[in-house]
Amino acid sequence: MLEFKSFAGNNYAWDDEVGLFIPFPPTIKAVLRELSDTNPPLKGEVIEKLSGAFKEEDIAFYYDWIQKWKRTMLQGGALPEDNSDVDLSVSNIKTHLLRHGLKQLTLSVTEDCNFKCKYCIYHGNYEYSNRANSRNYMNFAIAKKAIDYYFSLLEEGRRYNPIRKPNISFYGGEPLLNFDLIKKCVEYMDNAYNTFEKHYNLTTNGSILDDDKADWLIKNGFSIMVSLDGPEDEHDRNRVYRNGKGTFKDVMKNITKLNSRMNRKVTSISIFDCKCDLFKREEFFSRPEIPPLNFLNQVSDVPGCNYYDQFSEDDFLAFAEQIKKAKVHYLEDIHNQRQKGRKTSVLNHLFGLGSLRAVHEISPILPPSPLMPFTGACIPGMKLFVDVKGNYHVCERVNETNPLGNVDEGLDFMKIREFVLDYLRHMDGCSSCKFRRSCSKCYSYFMNGTGFLYSSEVCKGIETPMLDDFSMAFTIGEMDSSYVDNIADVKLLQDE
Amino acid sequence: MYFRLNPECYFIQGSKRGAIFDLIDSRIYALSPEETELIESSEKNQPVSGHEEFLHELKKLRLGTFYDNRTYMYKVRVINSSMEEELKFQTNLSRTFLEINNSCQRDCWFCGWHGVSRSMGCMGCNKWNEDGRPLEIGRWKGLVDELRDLDCKDIVITGGDLTLAWDKTMEILDYAKGKFSKIHMVLHQDSLSKSHLDDLDGRARPIIQTENLSNAVAKEGFTPLLAVKPEHYGDIWNFIPENKDALLDFAIKDGQLSNDLPIMSNKKIKMPGIYQFSRHMRYHPCIGGTLAISYTGNVLPCPMMRGHSFGNVGDGELYTIFEKGLDEINKFWKLTLDKIDKCRCCEFRYSCTDCRALDESLTGRLEGKKVCSYDPEEGAWA
Repeated sequence: MLEFKSFAGNNYAWDDEVGLFIPFPPTIKAVLRELSDTNPPLKGEVIEKLSGAFKEEDIAFYYDWIQKWKRTMLQGGALPEDNSDVDLSVSNIKTHLLRHGLKQLTLSVTEDCNFKCKYCIYHGNYEYSNRANSRNYMNFAIAKKAIDYYFSLLEEGRRYNPIRKPNISFYGGEPLLNFDLIKKCVEYMDNAYNTFEKHYNLTTNGSILDDDKADWLIKNGFSIMVSLDGPEDEHDRNRVYRNGKGTFKDVMKNITKLNSRMNRKVTSISIFDCKCDLFKREEFFSRPEIPPLNFLNQVSDVPGCNYYDQFSEDDFLAFAEQIKKAKVHYLEDIHNQRQKGRKTSVLNHLFGLGSLRAVHEISPILPPSPLMPFTGACIPGMKLFVDVKGNYHVCERVNETNPLGNVDEGLDFMKIREFVLDYLRHMDGCSSCKFRRSCSKCYSYFMNGTGFLYSSEVCKGIETPMLDDFSMAFTIGEMDSSYVDNIADVKLLQDE
Repeated sequence: MYFRLNPECYFIQGSKRGAIFDLIDSRIYALSPEETELIESSEKNQPVSGHEEFLHELKKLRLGTFYDNRTYMYKVRVINSSMEEELKFQTNLSRTFLEINNSCQRDCWFCGWHGVSRSMGCMGCNKWNEDGRPLEIGRWKGLVDELRDLDCKDIVITGGDLTLAWDKTMEILDYAKGKFSKIHMVLHQDSLSKSHLDDLDGRARPIIQTENLSNAVAKEGFTPLLAVKPEHYGDIWNFIPENKDALLDFAIKDGQLSNDLPIMSNKKIKMPGIYQFSRHMRYHPCIGGTLAISYTGNVLPCPMMRGHSFGNVGDGELYTIFEKGLDEINKFWKLTLDKIDKCRCCEFRYSCTDCRALDESLTGRLEGKKVCSYDPEEGAWA
């Protein structure tokens, strides 16, 4: 049972075993303490023991209610004790992927980039990222093989999942540096696979997104995500050219034009660290000419990351203070913030929907997937990430030490099996974790240069941020329960 | 002071009254208009005086309690936001009727051949007057594989008198073995012999169509389905011997419905568990996730809805029906009671049973409703 408080001081708890959030006033806590004994006392005995401190009717209520909520276990599935029931046969993996996976093909069309962003995972701040920025470009022969293999799997998978539609993303480096390849790939897919309803995505830094490229991307129905941290000083602090010069002006010149042409269908990805000014960003993203905010992420702090070494204790304290102030401002302004939605509000994105997502992504009642009993990791193959040389990897966030096949031989399902089993062997702290139903961590979080780190080590300190999110969500719920109840708001986060 | 229902208790509001659904203990509490008003207010975190006798009653029932401050109650859910998202990318096919035969030598009064409106005709035996080339056994086996690949959970083997095509039925049952969670099979009681019963052991769970429960085959796993004539509506309970469970299949004549029929009265409301309640918020309580494949390969929303077809699988594969007609399929599957004329303002809409085939046949509208004697506007049963 994990306790947390709303800002108003009300006590709640998360029962991971059962999958319920419950109010947790002192009476229920006292009753639970009595019942935790190996030979739990009868109701009358509990009432007699606690009646000096609490009202009898409350003790009786909570005693009965505790018994009742334990009955949810009868309706749902208990959490597995260990990995022993996992049936990771190659055929199970393949069927699972044909039915549920293959959601996206990501082509890393180049490792080259005209920027040298200070937080980029390819710029030496991440010990376990084995990819450095290079001048390597994908060629069409590799791209074509990857495309053909993806569509062959989709074709094979149609009888398992006829609803899924191909989704192809172009990624880098800066993918527009290999624009000719992107064009060639799209032309090829539109000719060779014209019976499929395809969707194309591009993640770009926006600096070389000129009118010609924009015309072509719009014509081909691309969804475009531009990395844009905030106003000029916020953006240029980290997002710089190789010579150290800021990139903001060049990016803005292209994307404000694109934004007006695409009727705000181009969106922004903003990355923040502890030196950022949340209030400045709040104002910036509320401007109509700025592409709406799609993702707001903190600079990744996975094992092996030394990006944060540059900050002093004072920096962290100052940021904590800023977060505190911003939370208060957000809560005072909550009705306004809800109207603004997450796309034009950094604060709503960060505190509102961010915390609601933590609550709504919990798996209530149901047991986890039989193939992945611990954490939120996928079965590799849910997405296919292809590097410039034609190797398959889990996704763009996972380092490239363990390719899971290549475009010549296809996915190696045996390797996928070994990869998952090795991962599960390292999840040694999971069976006793109190966030099993809410864990969204996956491979990238546990990887080192050669394999996986043990979860018992990596997950130390996981409680604080999770409980902070729960606390914020329940504070919002006390003020406006419909906001938290409306799961549709959270669904939006995953739509794009 | 505030009063909140527990996380497992949902308050659903109707036009005039509301109801509390306890999803752990599967109980429904129908509220008066005054009680509804009080719970509506308290569930919106409005303060209460603490002297309301009704709220103390609810506390004694362990449905909710008083709090000193505004309290947020995160209601119990079955699926999370990611799973909700995942549902969009899956077929979510849960049950398919396979009409592998259409021959029968009887002429039962309730048969689909005569176009009789029935409350559980889908689970009973029927033959149909339908043109087209019957599917070959090889195609039925192919469909079994296609259904398994589409992750269909249960199948129901049906069609005419299956004992007239027994070898074919057994061959298909053997082929389907182990590929689904449940396999049901519809048979008429009068066709069954001991050797048929022996053959079924371990292969399928039979649903036995009958007009006389006292002669019904009694065996564990066997479900009798009693066809009830309108003239027996009044003494229906005399037809059901003690200690015998049966599905009741009411034939409706000339649209005449008696208000005390179980399908009209509050007996139609089922005590909700967490899963059913959650599912009924997304899908129709009966045809949601269901398909029927007629003996000529037409794919229907249910065996009794012969006027709607999503396509034919005589030559093409079943998955192509989803590729071409997902929106049309979802028009039926996602027809929750929130979208049915009279039900949308009823507080029992997530725990009620509903036969779309029957209501459509009686009202002429897919969203019509006649089979219910509750008036949610008045909050009263007729």
